Amino acid sequence: MPPSGGGRTIPRRCVSLDLSATMKTWQLSLARQQAPRGLRLLALLGLAYGLFTIRPAPARVVLGPPQTVQTINPTVCVHTRLTDEVEEWKIQRTLQLVREMGAATIVEFFPWPYIERERGSYDWEHADRIMRHAQNQGLTVLARLGLVPDWARPPVQEKVTTLTYLPYERFEDFARFVGAFVERYGERLGGVIIWNEPNLSYEWGDRGPDPEAYTELLRLSYQAAHAANPRVLVLGGALAPTTEPEGSGSGMNEMRFLERMYQAGAAPYFDALAAHTYGFTAAPSDPPDPTTINFRRVELLRAVMERYGDGDKPVYITESGWSDDPRWTRAVRPGQRIAYTLEALDMATAWPWVERLCLWQFRQPADTFNRRDAYYALVSSDFVIKPIYEAVQAYARGWPIPYVP
Amino acid sequence: MSTRPLPYAAHPLLLRRWVRQHPRLVLAGLIALLGAILAWQLTRPGAPFGPQDSTWRRVQINRDLYVGMDPSYPPFAVWTPEQIVGIEADLAREIGQRLGVQTHILIMGFDSLYDALYTGMVDMVIAGLHPNQALTEWVYYSQPYFDAGQVLVSPVSAPINNMRDLDGKTLAVEMASAGDQAAQRWTRRLRSLTVQRFLLPQEAMQAVAEGLAAAALVDTISAYQYLAQHPELRLADRTSVAAPYVIAMRKANFRLTAEVERALKAIKSDGTLDAILARWLTGS
Repeated sequence: MPPSGGGRTIPRRCVSLDLSATMKTWQLSLARQQAPRGLRLLALLGLAYGLFTIRPAPARVVLGPPQTVQTINPTVCVHTRLTDEVEEWKIQRTLQLVREMGAATIVEFFPWPYIERERGSYDWEHADRIMRHAQNQGLTVLARLGLVPDWARPPVQEKVTTLTYLPYERFEDFARFVGAFVERYGERLGGVIIWNEPNLSYEWGDRGPDPEAYTELLRLSYQAAHAANPRVLVLGGALAPTTEPEGSGSGMNEMRFLERMYQAGAAPYFDALAAHTYGFTAAPSDPPDPTTINFRRVELLRAVMERYGDGDKPVYITESGWSDDPRWTRAVRPGQRIAYTLEALDMATAWPWVERLCLWQFRQPADTFNRRDAYYALVSSDFVIKPIYEAVQAYARGWPIPYVP
Repeated sequence: MSTRPLPYAAHPLLLRRWVRQHPRLVLAGLIALLGAILAWQLTRPGAPFGPQDSTWRRVQINRDLYVGMDPSYPPFAVWTPEQIVGIEADLAREIGQRLGVQTHILIMGFDSLYDALYTGMVDMVIAGLHPNQALTEWVYYSQPYFDAGQVLVSPVSAPINNMRDLDGKTLAVEMASAGDQAAQRWTRRLRSLTVQRFLLPQEAMQAVAEGLAAAALVDTISAYQYLAQHPELRLADRTSVAAPYVIAMRKANFRLTAEVERALKAIKSDGTLDAILARWLTGS
């Protein structure tokens, strides 16, 4: 029977928005030791939702007091891989370990498509996170800028391109991004590296390397960077060591590439040369030879700089090192890796024209699918410190080297 | 004072009485149980209504087996102009032979191997893989076919099989290797252990041959190769630091994994695997 008089009827199956009436019904039901069915159902659903969606709280990352790097050798530098690191505590832990190792500088990759996913709209969240933690650890960041967002490449219906394909008509867009990056991070930046290994086809959108086009990209980027901060260091090149001759489909000898850059008028548009040099199975003392890839090959690049009257500019070795992958024929044994790395650091420190020697690589987010890089790392993905880390740490901090034969 | 009745199950007589009193309920329960057993049997992997191993079916019909390999790892897999050779190539062909199918080796970079397995491009991967806990949700790892870990090498005249036997002795190791790290741990476990570091494993074993160390802890591959030229030295029965090489297959291929495990067990027990290892590691 519906209640008579002025009272309003509240159907038991509905959840009414009339709170007073609901409360009254609830109180009545409580008196009868039974909650209204709707409320019971709601409570049950809420509980089920809570059980299914409950998650442990994310690790709280506290920045802590600012740190400084203790080192006796500022040449020591490492290339970190924090771009694809999702968890903030891992970014912090990585940079703490870098600082504790005694490396005052890191090279980190900031892909253009990650930051400017839509033209003119920047998402600095991840880059800010890395820069914030690097600054907190007292580290100087050399920012490697590259790759191309989807919107800056031709539509796939027109042409299938890779992430390294930068159309010439988009050079100014890239330069604008460089300017925005420099403007945002200003004095916190140790420098910006314009593109990566443009003398390899793979890194130049699967096109033949084009030193003149790269020079134009460098010019635009340099001007944009210096407009944003006149004191910023612009590093050009980041050239890969390769013996590929001019006209090869896969790359161009880096000495020839640099020569053609100078001939195209690149000299005023970079403050320092970034170079990559790897030893593979050869000791660092192995003499330089245009037909061989070894550590001292970087001296040949230096000779090109001097030949073109650019000998006052420093060289930053932004990638170098030896792998101790037991199943790679171009790797060395772990002990050799330590000996060679320390010898290379000694050599780089003695060369007055080298500012930094950055070891490839400090740590990668996951070791599972990149074995080769995993064996170049100083620290494993799960933060297990390798003997090479301890050796470089001792070298950088002036401690006795723990690994000597 | 009230007494609580005993549960029926607690007293066989009461349970029997309860069964007699509820025959239809008991019958229904038995039917439900039989139905559940039948359903379980029919839906088990491989049963008529259960998941099927389509890869195994294809292997049976086409008589072929696709194996992913990275042929850049002598003496395990090497790319020659004629074919892929080495321990892993021989093992892959031997498994194919035991299964009565033709083995096709697909060569690819190491980092593509798991992708190729996941997408079905290959049926298994033999490439010096170590079991990876992060992938066991979909990857099945076989029993090891080789242990590439760290093994003790000692003189035949004074054999040492265990790290514990090194108390008061000198151990030669390859600097910064897994053996070196293990040796450092053992210096804390033993009363006295002197660890001598060498840049290369061959130098560590040379120290043993020259009587400068009681044993060397080096990787198995280097040890096998060195011992082929030095009969005065011997390997310990088992590794001190394990690093097993295993075959990876898709977990869903339950028939294939079972058949491969069976073949691998036979290859091990009849000495075929030892013969393959000896051929490539010691040249015998």
